[in-house]
Amino acid sequence: MNLLTLLIFIPLLAGLVIAVMPSSLRGSFKYITLLTAVIQLVLSVLIYLNFKTGATHAGVVHEDQFQFVQKLPWIRLNLGGVGDLQIDYFVGIDGVSVTLLVMSALVMIVAVIASWEIKTNLKGYFILFLILDMAVFGVFSALDFFLFYLFYELMLLPLYFLIGMWGGPRREYASIKFFLYTLFGSVFMLLVMVGLYLSVKDPVTGNHTFNIIQMMNPANYDAGSVFSALSHQTILGMPARMVGFVVLFIAFAIKVPVVPLHTWLPDAHVEAPTPVSILLAGVLLKIGGYGIIRICAGIFPDAAVQSSYWLGLLGVISILYGALNALAQRDLKRLIAYSSVSHMGFVLLGIASFTAEGISGAIMQMVSHGFLSSMLFFLVGVVYTRVHDRDIYNFRGLATLMPSYTLFVVIAFFASLGLPGFSAFVAEAFSLAGAFKSANTNGLLPQWMAACGALGILLGAGYFLWTLQRMFFGTPLLKGGESWKLSLTDINWRERSALIPLAFMALLLGVMPSLVFNKINDSVLLLVDFTRQFIK
Amino acid sequence: MAQTLPYQQLTTCYYALTAVVLPVLAFAVNFFLKKGKAAGWISTIAIGATTVFAAIVFKQQWNAPLIHATIPWFTIGGTAVNAGILLNNLSVLLLLLVNVIALPVHIYSMAYMSHDEGFSRYFTYLSFFCFSMLALVVVDNLVLFYAFWELVGFSSYLLIGFWFTRDKAVQANKKAFIMNRIGDVGLLIAIMVLFSQYHTFDLNALFSADGLVANSTLTNGLWINGTSTIPAVWQYLACAGLFLAVAAKSAQFPLHTWLPDAMEGPTSVSALIHAATMVAAGIFLLGRVYPLFSVHELDALAIIGCFTAFMAASIAITQNDLKRILAFSTISQLGFMVMAMGIGAYASSLFHLVTHAFFKCLLFLVAGAVIHEMQHIRDENKLDFDPQNILYMGGLRRKMPITFITAVIAGLALVGLPFTSGYLSKDGILIQAFEWSDTKAGVFKIIPILTLITSWLTAFYVARLVFKVFFGKFRLSEVNPGLKLHVHDGPWKFNVPMIFLAICCLFPVFSLNPFLYEHAWIYKSFLPSNFLERMNPYHTIIPIALNILSLLVIYWAYAVYVLDKKLPLKQNNWLFAFSYYQWYFNEAYQKVFVQPVLAISTGLFAFDRKGIDGLIHFFNRIILWVAKLSAAIDRYVVDGFLHFVVALVRQIGNFARSFQTGRVQYYLLTTVVAIVAWVILKILI
Repeated sequence: MNLLTLLIFIPLLAGLVIAVMPSSLRGSFKYITLLTAVIQLVLSVLIYLNFKTGATHAGVVHEDQFQFVQKLPWIRLNLGGVGDLQIDYFVGIDGVSVTLLVMSALVMIVAVIASWEIKTNLKGYFILFLILDMAVFGVFSALDFFLFYLFYELMLLPLYFLIGMWGGPRREYASIKFFLYTLFGSVFMLLVMVGLYLSVKDPVTGNHTFNIIQMMNPANYDAGSVFSALSHQTILGMPARMVGFVVLFIAFAIKVPVVPLHTWLPDAHVEAPTPVSILLAGVLLKIGGYGIIRICAGIFPDAAVQSSYWLGLLGVISILYGALNALAQRDLKRLIAYSSVSHMGFVLLGIASFTAEGISGAIMQMVSHGFLSSMLFFLVGVVYTRVHDRDIYNFRGLATLMPSYTLFVVIAFFASLGLPGFSAFVAEAFSLAGAFKSANTNGLLPQWMAACGALGILLGAGYFLWTLQRMFFGTPLLKGGESWKLSLTDINWRERSALIPLAFMALLLGVMPSLVFNKINDSVLLLVDFTRQFIK
Repeated sequence: MAQTLPYQQLTTCYYALTAVVLPVLAFAVNFFLKKGKAAGWISTIAIGATTVFAAIVFKQQWNAPLIHATIPWFTIGGTAVNAGILLNNLSVLLLLLVNVIALPVHIYSMAYMSHDEGFSRYFTYLSFFCFSMLALVVVDNLVLFYAFWELVGFSSYLLIGFWFTRDKAVQANKKAFIMNRIGDVGLLIAIMVLFSQYHTFDLNALFSADGLVANSTLTNGLWINGTSTIPAVWQYLACAGLFLAVAAKSAQFPLHTWLPDAMEGPTSVSALIHAATMVAAGIFLLGRVYPLFSVHELDALAIIGCFTAFMAASIAITQNDLKRILAFSTISQLGFMVMAMGIGAYASSLFHLVTHAFFKCLLFLVAGAVIHEMQHIRDENKLDFDPQNILYMGGLRRKMPITFITAVIAGLALVGLPFTSGYLSKDGILIQAFEWSDTKAGVFKIIPILTLITSWLTAFYVARLVFKVFFGKFRLSEVNPGLKLHVHDGPWKFNVPMIFLAICCLFPVFSLNPFLYEHAWIYKSFLPSNFLERMNPYHTIIPIALNILSLLVIYWAYAVYVLDKKLPLKQNNWLFAFSYYQWYFNEAYQKVFVQPVLAISTGLFAFDRKGIDGLIHFFNRIILWVAKLSAAIDRYVVDGFLHFVVALVRQIGNFARSFQTGRVQYYLLTTVVAIVAWVILKILI
């Protein structure tokens, strides 16, 4: 059995098991889900350990270099004169995806642990959770655009219900906003997907294909087809390939999220229950970054390098805008949501540089942010479940009341603001170094972008330290008085068990970044090499 | 190790590594041990052992060819980043210095912090600081340098905010970290520039005597390194970034304001971190990257260093907080070092760094001992006063003789009077400043002159401090006659470190000749860049003039503060206020930077809510409106038409139905009428 397929579909199996179990056994649902997540982690670590590196395993544009591949014909429909409709179940990974799988698996476990706080309608909750789980791994592994799109859309539905049913007071607003925003992007993605399908032919069978890797090879495009580089087709007066790129980029930019397409995120986070926030920030945002690397830059490299200036600019704007907005927040969770916007800006900036340092930094930042944002949202959840309040000004001196909790907060805050020794430092430093180097090597980004991005690091220190000062230090003073003081007990073993692995991973990757860089380096170099030929 | 080193060098490397690793082990042990008095001994023993290793490394490596050992760390793209250590005179000197200062401070701290609840937390942090600082001085590449640079700042953050329930302490540590972050951003930008120009992070490859930087040139607005040529502006940016880093860590204008606030931390911390070691890291950085700076950039360094020295000294003369005076004095002395770097007195700058570390650390330990006693008085008599305010002190020399004597030695060294270490290092800087200004345009004379004035200001504030604290009468007793006073020297854990440091403030430690700085062994080991002849008259005139005037200034201070002569200068004028309020830097920064940034952030958030979300909601409303419209059309137009048709059919039906009455007579009548009508019509047509 293919490990990757197993990894993707185990949650579905667990979901089915839960679905047929009677509600009287609802206490066991969380354990089943936890077990699933643990098995997934074991599988993903196995995949990570067996993942081969070297120039012959780089992947990206070489189908035969992908690993853990499973390719099965799925939908074959004879369309008469047009040929066959060819949709495959095609999964496989390369350096771009392998580390994201491990990260997602760990974050899943943390999200399950955070799900202990869910008390209502457990069956529905865990089934939706597991469907989401499956979709996430599917998205990271799918190499057939149709399959990718299927998983991509499949994430939306459970999330809509998870926020809309188990969320906070304004959950309906937040969930519909989230849903429509994302749908807006993906509907147009569907059009581009069909356009690509009609443009690309499998060189072996001669059929049109959804194979993403084959879409990356200009030779596979039909002469005169809409997305063929040679035919110079236009859509509404703009080059078709540019339109295709922009449409796909907008779809993924909403997911990242990139300013100004980000406003679903703070609302979704604020209303979502803790585990959903963790999944949202930890895993789902990464799908945006992953999509930009794999789909946008892979299929439309020419348009990507042409518009890299604008991508970089949007990245810098996201960094600064997110950070400044975070500075203005009173709600701790909203603050962290905006800090996510800022941190994901580094991903976009790194990718836009199209240098090995920049893209490696971007992938590292995705992995690192996966751990750190999960940790941050988990920590917010700790306070919120205890007193159902998150307003920064309603708390003071938590360090005295909850010392262990504060220790983890300090670790998470400092790791997030890029303290060396933690993963975010390496990630941000190299995203910026790549962006800076770009002017010298490929001339895509001006140096001031990196310099402005560096200001984001400064602002990051500002909002995190200010929060520490206001909420955690000083003499204890709580809005809820004595009753809050009684409720605010220090973290328990369950919460520790979620936080310690995250903190440990952030530290480990900070000290030994080679754990990520070794696995991704060949793919990144190939991607940079591949895109370089399109830079004029 | 990647490359094979001779056995001797390899052992040196391992000793240096051990010296770095021991404190972090102590940190880990203390971290997991949590509570307990053992923490103090664990950290102290670790630092003691580290000192031994550092001394061995120093002995083997001083004036020996440099050692550079690396192992691969990670590869990113085509760049292999190594981790390694680089041992040359500069790094081994600091390795030893940090340890020699840290060990007495550890011993002192065990007594100073003994009654604090956070005793073990204190030593956990302290060990972490020592680790970061020691690693900083031996690492061999810019990435690691940046990492430890920031970790040093982070440990300083932890220690400034050690008493985290005090609002002032927490505000101070936030300020310190953010100010240092500005420097970090500068350093990061400089690293990025250097990396994109030279494609390496290796300090040795970059900055060694025959390194990449030394071989690249700035000509015609271009920065040329072999084949790679980029505009010279990037070289300026790199230097500006490095300067920001130096200014943040070493508290130079314009980033100096965090250091006085950092005095909220425990005094022992101030002694180690904010006087002797961490703040010297900026000078150390300058020492590492020195070849990068061009002549004009060095001039800028000299100007800023000199200005900082003067500014801080002018503030120190009016402050009343014992630790604040010392903090401003530190800023001032660091200004001397930066200036020395700027005028090319590389050796003197580092020499002054070393001597300053000893006497400033000692002054802080003295301050700690005094404050400890003042707190004791406060708690014993249940009073409420600021134990750090020198206006409440006085006459402590009889009660605390050891403290007093060590304070005087340290004070004299700080002033730079003969037979002290400070004389050797500071006069060297002054003399070279005059020599340097001779080679420059006339305007540059201001710099040595301002430096001279700063020296006299130094003499004044040191004298004021010593006289106010140790001479005269104990002022609190004058206000509260019934005060219970149990004031005495501290325990051995106070005295031994202080006496040790006091010995290190004297000339024999550095030079057998008390008057000639050129004979100091530290000075001789760094290639002095401007080796002018001793014949130069500056070498005699300046020390004499300086010291005679300094003595006069000290006597003047004695007259004012001990003999109670009236101060010839009024205290209610703007000059005094300007000095007392620290040149209003804090207020200005608050107005110019902090408040605008907060305003912008609030504005942007409003934009986020009203602008972007407003637009989304606007679309939402349009779509809803269109939806309503189409619903209305559906209802009234499409359905309306249908209903109309239906109604029409019904009407017709109703009309036709009216004929269906069911009565035969009507039907007959109708038939007859129809036939008649038809016949008539037929006839007529």
